[in-house]
Amino acid sequence: MGGWLDLSMIEANGWRLLAGLEITVEVVAISCSIGFVLSYPIALMRMARNPVPRTLSLCYVTFFRGTPLLCQLYLVYYGAGEIRPFLTSLGLWWFFRQAFYCCVFAFSLNTAAYQAEIVRGALLSVSRGQIEAAQALGLSRYRVARHVVFPQALLVALRPLGNELISIIKASALAAIVTLLDLMGQTRLIFARTFDFSIYLYAALIYLAMTALIARVWNLVERRLTRHLRKRADPVSRAVGAPGTAPSPTELSTASQAR
Amino acid sequence: MYRRIIAGALLALSLASPAGAKEWTTVRIGVDATYPPFESVNPQGQIVGFEIDYANALCATMHVTCTFQNQDWDGIIPALLGEKFDAVISSMNETPARAKRVLFSDVYYATPPVWVTTADNKNDDVSPAALKGKTIGTQSSTTFANYLDKYFKGFDVKLYPGGDEPLADLANGRLDYVVLDLLVTEKFIEKNPGCCRIISKIDRDPDVFGPGVGVAMRPGDTDLKEMFDKAIHQVATDGTFDRLQKKYFTVDISPKK
Amino acid sequence: MPALELLFGTNGWGPLLLKGAGITILLALASAPFGFGAGLLLALMNLSGSRVLRGACTAFTTLFRGIPDLLSLFIVYFGLQAALNWIASRVAPGQAFTMDAFVAGALSLSVVVAAYSSEVWVAALHAVPRHQHEAAHALGLGRWRAFRLVILPQLGRVALPGLGNIWTILLKDTSLISTLAVSDLLRAASEASRSTQRPMLFYGAAAMIYLFFSIVSGGMQSVLERRANRGYA
Repeated sequence: MGGWLDLSMIEANGWRLLAGLEITVEVVAISCSIGFVLSYPIALMRMARNPVPRTLSLCYVTFFRGTPLLCQLYLVYYGAGEIRPFLTSLGLWWFFRQAFYCCVFAFSLNTAAYQAEIVRGALLSVSRGQIEAAQALGLSRYRVARHVVFPQALLVALRPLGNELISIIKASALAAIVTLLDLMGQTRLIFARTFDFSIYLYAALIYLAMTALIARVWNLVERRLTRHLRKRADPVSRAVGAPGTAPSPTELSTASQAR
Repeated sequence: MYRRIIAGALLALSLASPAGAKEWTTVRIGVDATYPPFESVNPQGQIVGFEIDYANALCATMHVTCTFQNQDWDGIIPALLGEKFDAVISSMNETPARAKRVLFSDVYYATPPVWVTTADNKNDDVSPAALKGKTIGTQSSTTFANYLDKYFKGFDVKLYPGGDEPLADLANGRLDYVVLDLLVTEKFIEKNPGCCRIISKIDRDPDVFGPGVGVAMRPGDTDLKEMFDKAIHQVATDGTFDRLQKKYFTVDISPKK
Repeated sequence: MPALELLFGTNGWGPLLLKGAGITILLALASAPFGFGAGLLLALMNLSGSRVLRGACTAFTTLFRGIPDLLSLFIVYFGLQAALNWIASRVAPGQAFTMDAFVAGALSLSVVVAAYSSEVWVAALHAVPRHQHEAAHALGLGRWRAFRLVILPQLGRVALPGLGNIWTILLKDTSLISTLAVSDLLRAASEASRSTQRPMLFYGAAAMIYLFFSIVSGGMQSVLERRANRGYA
């Protein structure tokens, strides 16, 4: 099995892991951002009165949340190869030729579906009364959205979006299966060369460090942004009862974990 | 699933033999069935191919029952060492590096590795200088990958988990060149005519490729090696090997003495 | 070759896909009870007084929620096999204890499910009011019977949505075992598409089957939730 803490292996292969880590961070950052940008329009479509965008977006979200990410990845990567002439005629082959872009494409579409559901839940969680009050004040639709709905929705969405980011970091490991040498890919390569099982443990440590870091940072951000909603430890509030805290995001947070 | 449990229990019972000399009645064989025509999975879900027929012939000669397990190539040696199966008959070349970890039988076949490219690529020069900047692909953890690692350092080499996957990506243009086995490539071209062409054969550098393909076993199983060696020799001389290879190939793949 | 022929013809790959779908469901069904059960145990550990138990529980859930499921799978597959070999060499030399890839998959999925579901169970345990425990105690029910007859049903109601989500995750995570050469649905689709060079057809078909499973699961979850919430406002 080799030594459990074989540091010489790290010396020889550490740079590979770092190269892989760089690719992982790139893929995750780009996919997450694109997903975030796409999530709002999709959420709006889901809540539209017109049945056409509503059904389309429902189909989209159901498909990407109801099928495994690995299957979606295979569809994009191998499927693109199959329809290569069509893609070339559209001038898109250069994009799908690269495993990196195929992965980003699949991951972005996938996370957009999950983020759209989170955003939709968050938007719906803002009570109707708030919107009506804002309208009664004469605020335009844009103003209502920007100053009343968004800030409250964002707070509700914060925790589940953080979970989603962690989810993507973990899901990115699948890129290794379509030849992308991300962190997981390099790990498999090193294992294939050395047969030393401990490389998987080192990779686990690195992933753990990433997800723990994100979780920490997100916690701090959430705490800071919801300061005004938590019970204060002063005698007045204890007697009177503090104003309501933010709605529980546990349902939304578990909803965001699936791949 | 119940069959699995019962089979597992029976297997455990059958393995409850005293430590030391082992009576080989069943030999579990690991294969990576992504390498037609040597081994692949048919629509009925069975593992078939030249090496399956060959292994069955060997086992008949050795008077043992053989079972086959599909295993990803990357993990096939760890799985062998981890006792998931007892032998690997999956076109594994006997390289010096591998020989340090597993016990090899005598060589039973040898075929040349080749350079492959798309049909419309007229370039025949496969030196590192000529291929600079091109994308090359092959299966990971293979002698082909090691060859590219040794002679084409710094190149963008794409590694695939499955045996003939690189050829599929060559056919659709993701790769410019592929290094793979001659017969596997010919089989792929047969199924996908006009996709690719073989440029040239590669000399088998003994350090990288070894003398040929053999059966891999755990280092302690010297008795199993003896059994396999005898069987390989017998199958090679009594005409079974020739009959089998004629069924699959037009060339003679027996190891040159 | 036309698609229908490839799927359902005499040499069609359809039956293999369906067999793979069966393996997928089997794998999910094998992992779920152990996973949810272990998750409940973890939740109980988390709420116990002992700091050691709490620490162990937190370490476990942090680990398996923080690393990719694919990595968990490999660690269980290769690591557990190495551990088994080591134990076997100490306890019964000459004997081989081997672990099927299916079993490794089920184990690793159970572990992941346990880690995720423990959070759901903790929330559910918090949601059952204290006076329920006290009332059960007042009725003379022992700790185990109180738990089984009074607490657990109420836990189930609160935990159902979260657990239902995790079941859906589990169904999709079974696809990871295709990387270990186990003939589940996705692996069957891979074999078929590799052999016929028609990935869109077969991966598309596999996606439809997964979608079907997801939708059916969602429907069953709704039904179960409605039943569990009978009698509640």
